[in-house]
This record gives sequence, structure tokens and C-alpha cells, in this order.
Amino acid sequence: MFQRRRPRFHHGLLNRGLRGEVGLIIESGEPREVMHFCLLCGFGANAVNPYLAFETLDYLHRDTELPADMESSQIADNYIAAIKKGILKTMSKMGISTLRSYTGAQLFEAIGLNRSLVDEYFTGTSSRICGAGLAELAQEALARHKAAFQQRPPGALELDFGGEYHFRHNNEEHLWNPTTVTRLQHAVKYDDQKAYDDYANAVNLQAEKLYTLRGLFEFIEDKAIPIEQVESADEIVKRFCTGAMSHGSISKEAHECIAVAMNRIGAMSNTGEGGEDPCRYNPEPNGDSKNCAIKQVASGRFGVTLNYLSHAKELQIKIAQGAKPGEGGQLPGHKVTEEIAALRYSTPGVTLISPPPHHDIYSIEDLAQLIYDLKCSNPGVKVSVKLVAEVGVGTIAAGVAKGNADEVLISGHDGGTGASPLSSIKHTGCPWELGLAETQQVLVTNNLRNRIRVQVDGQIKTGRDIVIAALLGAERFGFGTAALVTLGCTLLRKCHEGACPFGIATQDPDLRQRFAGKPEYLQRFMYFVAEEVRRIMAQLGFNKFEDMIGRADRLQTRTAIDHWKAKGLDFSAIFYQPYVSDDKAIRSTTPQADKLGEHLDWQILEKAEPAIERAEHTIIEMPIRNVDRTVGAILSNRIVRKYGEKGLPNDTLQVVLQGSAGQSFGAFLAHGVTLKLIGDSNDYLGKGLSGGQIIVKTPEDSPFMSHENIIVGNTVLYGATSGRVFINGMAGERFCVRNSGVTAVVEGIGDHGCEYMTGGLVVVLGKTGCNFAAGMSGGIAYVLDEVQLFDTMCNLDMVELESVWKEEDKNLLYDLIQQHLKWTGSARAQYILDAWSDIVGRFVKVVPIDYGKALKKMRAAEQRDTETIPATEEVF
Amino acid sequence: MGEVKGFLKHKRQEVEHRPVEERIHDFAEFDLPLTPEQIHQQTARCMDCGIPFCHGAGCPLKNCIPDLNELVYKGKWQQACELLHSTNNFPEITGRVCPAPCETSCTLSINDEPVLIRHIEFQIVERGFQQGWIKPLPAKQKTGKKVAVIGSGPAGLTIAQQLARAGHQVVVFEKDERIGGLLRYGIPDFKLAKNIIDRRIELLMAEGIECQTSVNVGEDISARYLKNRFDCICLTMGAGQPRDLNIQGRGYENIFFAMDYLKAQNKLCANEPADESSFITVKNKVVVVIGGGDTGSDCVGTARRQQAKEIHQIEILPKPPETPPPDTPWPMWPRIMRTSSSHQEGCQRQWGIMTKKFSGVETRVTQLQCCKVERMQKNGSWKLKELPGTDFTLKADVVLLATGFLHVTHSGLIKSLNLKLDDVGNISVDNYQTSEAGIFAAGDTITGASLVVKAIDSGRKAAVAIDKWLQQSS
Repeated sequence: MFQRRRPRFHHGLLNRGLRGEVGLIIESGEPREVMHFCLLCGFGANAVNPYLAFETLDYLHRDTELPADMESSQIADNYIAAIKKGILKTMSKMGISTLRSYTGAQLFEAIGLNRSLVDEYFTGTSSRICGAGLAELAQEALARHKAAFQQRPPGALELDFGGEYHFRHNNEEHLWNPTTVTRLQHAVKYDDQKAYDDYANAVNLQAEKLYTLRGLFEFIEDKAIPIEQVESADEIVKRFCTGAMSHGSISKEAHECIAVAMNRIGAMSNTGEGGEDPCRYNPEPNGDSKNCAIKQVASGRFGVTLNYLSHAKELQIKIAQGAKPGEGGQLPGHKVTEEIAALRYSTPGVTLISPPPHHDIYSIEDLAQLIYDLKCSNPGVKVSVKLVAEVGVGTIAAGVAKGNADEVLISGHDGGTGASPLSSIKHTGCPWELGLAETQQVLVTNNLRNRIRVQVDGQIKTGRDIVIAALLGAERFGFGTAALVTLGCTLLRKCHEGACPFGIATQDPDLRQRFAGKPEYLQRFMYFVAEEVRRIMAQLGFNKFEDMIGRADRLQTRTAIDHWKAKGLDFSAIFYQPYVSDDKAIRSTTPQADKLGEHLDWQILEKAEPAIERAEHTIIEMPIRNVDRTVGAILSNRIVRKYGEKGLPNDTLQVVLQGSAGQSFGAFLAHGVTLKLIGDSNDYLGKGLSGGQIIVKTPEDSPFMSHENIIVGNTVLYGATSGRVFINGMAGERFCVRNSGVTAVVEGIGDHGCEYMTGGLVVVLGKTGCNFAAGMSGGIAYVLDEVQLFDTMCNLDMVELESVWKEEDKNLLYDLIQQHLKWTGSARAQYILDAWSDIVGRFVKVVPIDYGKALKKMRAAEQRDTETIPATEEVF
Repeated sequence: MGEVKGFLKHKRQEVEHRPVEERIHDFAEFDLPLTPEQIHQQTARCMDCGIPFCHGAGCPLKNCIPDLNELVYKGKWQQACELLHSTNNFPEITGRVCPAPCETSCTLSINDEPVLIRHIEFQIVERGFQQGWIKPLPAKQKTGKKVAVIGSGPAGLTIAQQLARAGHQVVVFEKDERIGGLLRYGIPDFKLAKNIIDRRIELLMAEGIECQTSVNVGEDISARYLKNRFDCICLTMGAGQPRDLNIQGRGYENIFFAMDYLKAQNKLCANEPADESSFITVKNKVVVVIGGGDTGSDCVGTARRQQAKEIHQIEILPKPPETPPPDTPWPMWPRIMRTSSSHQEGCQRQWGIMTKKFSGVETRVTQLQCCKVERMQKNGSWKLKELPGTDFTLKADVVLLATGFLHVTHSGLIKSLNLKLDDVGNISVDNYQTSEAGIFAAGDTITGASLVVKAIDSGRKAAVAIDKWLQQSS
């Protein structure tokens, strides 16, 4: 109710050009959670006085719920600080840094408010399914008032629990409740069809209590067919996937169990963001496979090596996530066990930070480039892109289709990890019904639908959910939470504490032993769902699953909806089907074009046979142009498939290229290959470097000073895990962002160097830009600080600066610069080595604080004769 | 939640009992309550689950268990006491005798030991009484309506309290001499001391509830009398009709219904005037209890305290498994082998035994002719098959029949009210209203013999239905 007036004032003032002269202060008893304050600011409030929240805190203080020795002012300050932090987090998810920009930005979508209400009071806000108006809001406000002030009989509780975040009887309804969780578990443990039916009915039959949009849909009947004529369950389950749940968020036992189950039925599991243990690529003795078919490539690029990419059937680029949208993630040092650190190519005890965006995706063209890169790293692999359902997702999906992705995943707002902040769980994203319908409509209208598959996920639970999603346009379907429930999860919701007593959302070895899930349970669930799908298909007269896709004309709003609040809902935007002439497809019919035909690596491969087949030292020379992109990736894939992760011996194959290299030069380069570029390169050089060596040399006759001119682009060595790079010139911004282990020498860089680095060694023989080492939690950097201003250019939040005085450091540095000279003939290197005793004192060593501690402990542990304590324990 | 991973740090601590040797010489309660420090640790084990199954699936009353655990953990006992009473009228009863389906549905019971929920409930309510926090809460305004409640067991008393608090005038009619129903006359003193009931009844009376004892409605007063003087009637007479064992030799003396045996002992403990001939003692006798349920167990404990010579308990169904079988998976009440405190005091138990006939000398029973039986599924239903060559005799001086209850006794009252019954003989209801307008029923009367906690729940829900009906009919 309180929200109603203010945006109206705000817009009224805006329209009269007076808004800048007035500050809007809201005083209300209602705001109490982060989302409320975000809404108020987002719709124009400059200040908020949540008086009832403050009064409640006072009351809690008097009631000894809060420490008695705390001052009231301190309590209020803490509350304000908490809300502030919440608002900042929310803003940063949208890429906004200042409150001033967020105020009035109206970055919200309305779900369930009617058009005239929104147009009048929330002008400019999208509200696609209409719904309640002023009358309903008034009715609700009156009901709340009545409930608050009504006389309760003696002995009854004064306040209801609410049950918003934890289930409470007779309070907020949840689809995961004591009945659905247990009946699903009974069904899969004891292969009990009746239990499954109880579960499915409890979810599907939303006649009285309306939980989801799809609960308000019904199918339009037609001639039913006998179920024997319907496509088999064996075929239908191949369309199922599990959601991206990383090993790190869940235990190894749970993660592998899911992979085994999905592989057994010809479906797909998803690694999530955390990398994967390479031993899983070998089949088990009994024939099972723990290899995840879908491997995710997320913004942190954790564990994204060539070997990882080469073993996938599908690579999924996570642009957005339903769970922690826009925030990126942070795995605190004490949770980075030795096991996790190894998988993510980092150091135990060192904090892992995922950047919010992908630093190589700033436009749709960039996305197309990454898709191309991934397809080169594993020719034949499918690439999918994960987006979140929100208004406008259709446009992005169209871009994804044009960017040559094979599949787009629309992820709904429900579900996501239990470890998310509550404001994210409850208030971000929108239902997949809306996102999927919009995507389908946009793709069909723009004649793009035929060449891309659509997947959907977000609290998919039953066969009915699947059929509705198919009718709205989806070919494949993801299960996240439901899969975990079959393996023992009861939504206890202590995931963020790692205290899962079922051994699922925890890394604690004691708790992991309690994991009691079996692949059979998940397999049975998939088949129960598939059989339910078949029953519905028979009723609707579909014998092939494919025929259902995009047939929104078989859905309508349920006629008998009793609920007073649901009367104004209008789903025509969801059921709308664009007009299609005969040749416009409404589902995927053809694969995307193969764009690898013109790749330079095919020419290299022709000449590289001695090296690849017999590990003979081979040198190849050829010209290169800027249309030659992702050079080295296809070649490297060939090597890793033959030799495994270790690749070929060092420098077995040397390819010398003259000219201007295109994007992603040397991406995912395998060990044993040296690419020597004489010329310059575009962005993303060395992306995901996996052991190879890249040399970039300024041509002999160049008239310019190498250390003062840029010869490679931005975002070099993004997510690189191992290898060596020598650049005889300057690089652009974000040099070595998310570097996990590469050694690199460069003669100058732009801003944000070594951002989010977790390992490796970087030497900069010249200028750096500003904000060097932001988020750097591992690895070491040496910077030649000639003008003694480096400490002003460096972000000192996570690192410390030292001078280079230890012999071992000096020797290391000398050696690297010498190698740089050897490989590139760099004049700058020569100059430094000649004047070494003078210049070495001007180098600064950049050491991340966490990393320094971890290294010290590891060295101490090695030197101890007695029983070693793992490094992880001591850093805690 | 008490402590993160509190369940790993603290193991479940069972409530200990007074040693067997000491406790079998009296009829007093024998639980040894935990200390406050121990309770603090036990509440720390609660995980405050996102879906609390104790609350949502286990407890019929939907007690707010995670919240109670948290309040106790923080030392907020009075708030816990208030919260507990908002869902449970008689926590001191359930805290003693409830089998605790909350605990078997606790998520920790899946691969660990459940939280000590029942004993925490006991501690909360007992502290409440000690500290004087539990007071009568009479309604501020009267409605002028009058309700008659027939039967003063837990269901009846719950309805009485709830309706009195809603402002109606309530009169409880009880055929026995004192209030309480099976609480007083069925459950032995060593499980539930009777002063506990008296303590609660005082509060009920202070809330304006009138009780008339030794009144058998249907005999002493008629249904018509009630209909004239009350706006509505609620029947909560329980399910007192025992299942008999009509086999050869049933007519011998010293074969008793368990309820008659237990009731007589309870009256003796309470020094209630009773007909001498109704008292049954098994001192120095060989006792055979037929029936392996809770009632049978109560007979075993009572017989031990009466200094029986030998105590046998035989059960017709097979011995339950040690671990929960697939047909009662979590969070359901598991069908497992249980050993009660009475069994610990000494008893020889056998399962899969059918009694074929009683033999005797003159008018007294002297032995049972038994055989072993097997339970098998035939055409979708369970049948018992006698195993050939397994006949044996069991000596007995006294036989106690604890073979369950069928339904409410079909007395004159039910007939004179012309109430419809369901297939198994319970009073048939639709939202607690019987086939006659203005006549309601709740508790065992409508469901058959069940638990105290379910009776309280039935009473609370019936009270809501009755209150609504009374408001509409003005």
C-alpha cells in the first residue's frame, strides 16, 4: 500500500520538471526487509523511515532478544548498516555503483498487478500477466488490519509465524512441504508408483491454493490416443538434465551420484562452476560414467582447462544465474579444502572469487566469439548459453541464436542454491513460464527458432510441468532441487553453513559419509516423470514428444479459478503464438552452421603430423590475418585427445606466424605447442591457456618502443591455468584476469591488471594502469616501478607490496627476463639485464595476503619431520 | 537453531529411570528429569529445519517445535510455555505418555538420534507450573450459549477448555466418580500420576467449566434432558468397547479385560471407594497378558508391582523388525520392536502366538492352549495361518485380555439420539457433526482407540466447528 502513493508523486513531479527540487521521504510501518527498501528507492524515495522496524528492535531489546549491554542507537545503526549492505548488493547485481543512479531507476518487473494500476502508479514498469487492482490491494490491506486487531481467544498466539522462509502449518504455503518431500522420497526409494502419484498430485492440483502460474493453466483436450502409441519413456528421459550444481556447493558423493544416474539413462548432468576431477573421465569398472556431459563455463573459469572442455558433450556458458545473479560468488578461504583447491587450480586456504561478469563477454559479438572458442576447443561439442527469465530475455536469446549457440537455457526464478541470500531467493528473476514464452515468441518471429534448442529449468517437479514447458516451446528440461530431494535433501536449509546432515550440501568429511543417495533413486524419478508425461501426451493426443513443442494453442487459463485475487490475471501474453507461414519453424529442426571450416588450424594440422603423431620436433611457418581467430585451439584438442592432459613435451611443435592475429589467439593451447607471433594480436590472447607457450614479438623493423606500445588486446590470459607467455610489448586492460597458474612476462599493461588472479607468476617490465591486483588472492606479480608510483596504481585491499631483496626472488626474476630476451629479442629486456644491479631495486613484488600465509604454512609443513598438518587447517 | 552442527557436538541424552529394583515397589512415576545444563545441550541439537517434519508431519497438534527448542535454548522458558500452550492444552500429559511421533519424524532420526522433543516439552510445562506461569484464562465475554460435553477424557476436556475460552458455558458430564477418563482410570500411576490431572482440572474449573461426575448420560439423565437445556451436545465417550476372545473356555473365572484390571488398581492407588469384588490382584500368581500393545505393557508393569509370580505376554502378530521396515519409512511411525519400561522390569514375551482355548479346574482358568501362527498375504489381505505341530500349553492363574478396542460402547445414549454409525461402529461425523444437528462427537468416539495427542487435536478442531455452528445458529 505504501508503495502506491510515492511513485505517483515521483512521476507527477517528473512530468512537471520539478523532481530535482524535491526530496521524497517515506515514513511507513511496512518496510523491514532489503527488498522493501530497494523497491522504495527504486521507485523514487530519497529517504525512508521504517518506524515500525525501529520500534520492533526496541521491543526485542527490552525482551532480551538482543544483548542487554547494547545501546539502542547501536542496534539501530546495525540494522541500517545491514539494510545498506543489502541494497548495495542488489544494486551491484545490476551493475550500478551509486544510490543516486538506482533511485528512480525502477529496475523491477511486476507480476500479478493489472495494467491500469501499474500505468497509474508504477509508470513504465512491465506487468505481463495483469492481475490485481486497487480493489484487491485494498481488500488485502483490510484483511491484514482485521487480523492484526482482531480479538484472539485466551491462550491463542498473538502473531502468526508467517512461514515465509521456513514451513509452518497454516501459514505460507510451499510446494516443497512435508508431503511432497516425503512422498517423492518414498517413491524413489521403494519404487512406489502410488507414492509418486501422491507427490505429483500434491504439486499439480493447485485448485484451491495457487502456487505457480502453471497451476492456473489447463490443457485443451482433443482426441485421446492409447498410451501404447506414445513415444517411449526411454526416449523422453533423454531430454532431461540436472541443474548446474557445482562440486563445492554440493559434496563429491552427491555430485558423482547425479552424473552416474543421468549417464545411465542417456540424459545429461551439469558440472556447475567448480571444475571437475579428471579421474572422472575414465569409466568405472562396472561401466558407469561419472563424467558430466554438460560442463559449465562460468565467469570464474574455475577448472576450465582444455582437458575439461575436451571431455564434454555440451559446454554451457553461464551468463546469468537464478541463484546469485550478478553477484558472482565467493568461496571463503576456510572452505577451500585441498580437494576443492586442486579442482579449481588454486591454493588451499585461499579465497576464491568469481567476477560478476564474464570479462570476455561485453557484447553479443563477444559472446559469439566465446561460443566459437569453445567449439574450437572441442570440435563437435554443443554450446549452450544460460540466461535468466526476465523481461527482455527474448532479445538476448535472439542474440544467442545468432551467435551460433546450439541451445539457450531459460532459468526461472524459483529454486537455485539454498546457500543464496534470502533476498535473492525470494525476489530475483521471474517465472520460467514468462521467460520461455517470450523467448519462443521472439525466436519464432525472427525466424531463428529452427536452428537453436531451448531448455528450461526452475523448480520443475512433475510430468505436467514438463508438458506445459514443452507446449510453451522447450525441448529440454532441467531438474535441480528435485534431483537433490531424491538423494535425501529435505530442504533443511543450512547449506550456507555446510551443516547438511545428509552429506549433500557440505564438504565436511564426517557429514559426507552420511550421504545415502543412490543413482537408482534419481533414475527412478526421471522415469516416473517420463511416464506421467506419456499419460498426459496420450490424453492430449500426441504420440511424439517433438510435436508438442511450441504448441501453446493447447493451453488456456483454467476456467474454474475461485481465488479472489486471481480473477484479473491474463495469460494471453504467455499463450500468444506469432503468426507463422509454412516455412517458419516453431521448434529446433536444423543444427547451427558449422563455422569451423575456414579455421587456420586445419592448415597447421596438415603440416604438424610429425609432431602430433610421433612427438617429433617440428617448426611451421605461415602468415596470419585478423580473421584467423582462436588459432591453436583445434590443434590443441587433437593433442589432448591423443596424449591426455600432459600434452606433448615442451616446445615439440613450434608455429611461427607473421601478421596480425585475430581474437583468442592461442586459446586453450596445449602443453608442447609454442605459438610465436611476429606482429600483433587482438583481444583474448591465451584465453584458458592449458600448458602451451605463446610468444609475441614486435617485428624487427618496427620503429616504435615496444614497452610503450600496445601489441596485444584486452583480457589476455583470461582463466588461464598453466603455460608461459612472453609479450614483447604492452597489453591492454585486465591483463591476466583470473589467471590460475600461467607465467607471463609483458612490457607494460593497462588498467585492472591481474584482477581476481589465484595463481601463476606475472612480470611487468613497464607501466601498469590503475587498480592493479583488484581481487587478487593468489599468485605473485613483479612490477618494474621506475617512477615509484606503483603503490598509487595498485589496489591494496588484498595484497601487500615488498621490494625484491631475497636472492631467490632476484634469481627468479633475472631468469624470466633472460628467457623473455631469448624468445623475443626484447630491447627492453636487454636494457634491464644490462643494468640489473641498478634496476633490480626498482622492482616491486606484489603478494596477496591470503596466499602469502598459505605458502608459509606449506613450506613449514614440508620442512617438518613429524606428522604434517594439512595447510588448510592452519590458515583457518 | 541452537548451534550450527550442534547435533555433531552433542549426542542425544535419553531420560533415565529409577532403577528397576527400586521402582517396582511403588506406583510412583520413575522418570529422572534432565538438568537444565543437559537440556540446554539437547536443545542445541535442533537444526531449525527449513521444513520441520516434527511440526509439519509428526505432531498431530502441530506444536511449534523448532521455535520451542530455540526459546528453551535461549533460556526463555516462559515464552516457551506460552507458545506450547497455544497448540497443546495438556502438555504435561503428552510430555509424559505421548509416544512422540515428533521424534520419529525429526530429520535427525534419519541417520542420527532425534532431538529429545518430548522431554523438552515436559520440562517446559513443569517449569511453568513451578513458576506459576500457567494461569486460568477465562473468557472476557460470555456468549450465552450452553454446551454439554459427555465424557471427560482428553478430547472432552480439550473441547471444554476451548469452548469456555470462546465464551460459551460448558458442563462436562462424566460417568465415573472423578474427571479424566482413561487418563485417570486407564493409564497406570507410574506412567501418569493422578495429581497431575487434578492440577490441570483446577485450572479448567477456574475458567468456568462445570463438571458433573457419577452421571451416566443415557441412564441417569436422558438425552432429551440435555437437548432441552443445552444449545448443543458433544460426545467424547471414548472407544471403550473391548475386543473379546470368544474361544472355548472363555467362561472360566480369572479371565479379565485389561481395562477392568487397570482401573481397579488405579482406584486403589487413589484410595477411591470401590466395590471390593471389583479389585483384581495377581500377587504370587502366574499372569498371562494376551496382547502386545501399550495396554498389555501397562498390565505387565501393574502385575509386577502387584508382585506376580510370573508374567507372560503373548502377541498374535509376528515380532517386529529391529530397524524400520519399508512399509513404515521416515517420517512415519516405524513398526519396530520396542521394549517398554515395564518389559525392562521383567516379562517373558512371545510373538506369533494364537490362543486356541482356555482350560481350567472347576471354575478357574489354569492354562492356555496355544499354537504358533504365521501371517501371510492372500488375495490382497492378511490372513493368519496356524503352523502345524506347534501346539503348546501355557500355565496361567490369571489371564488379562489386552486385545484392543473396537469402538465406542453402543449405549442407550447413542441409540436414543439415533446417531448414525460408520462401518466399524464409530459415531459417524462430517466435520465433527453427527447425523443429528447440534450433536457433535470427537476423539476416540469417532476414530476408534487412538492416542491422547490425537484426542486433544480432535477436540481442538471439534471446538472450532462447534463454535462456528453456535455462532451461526443464533
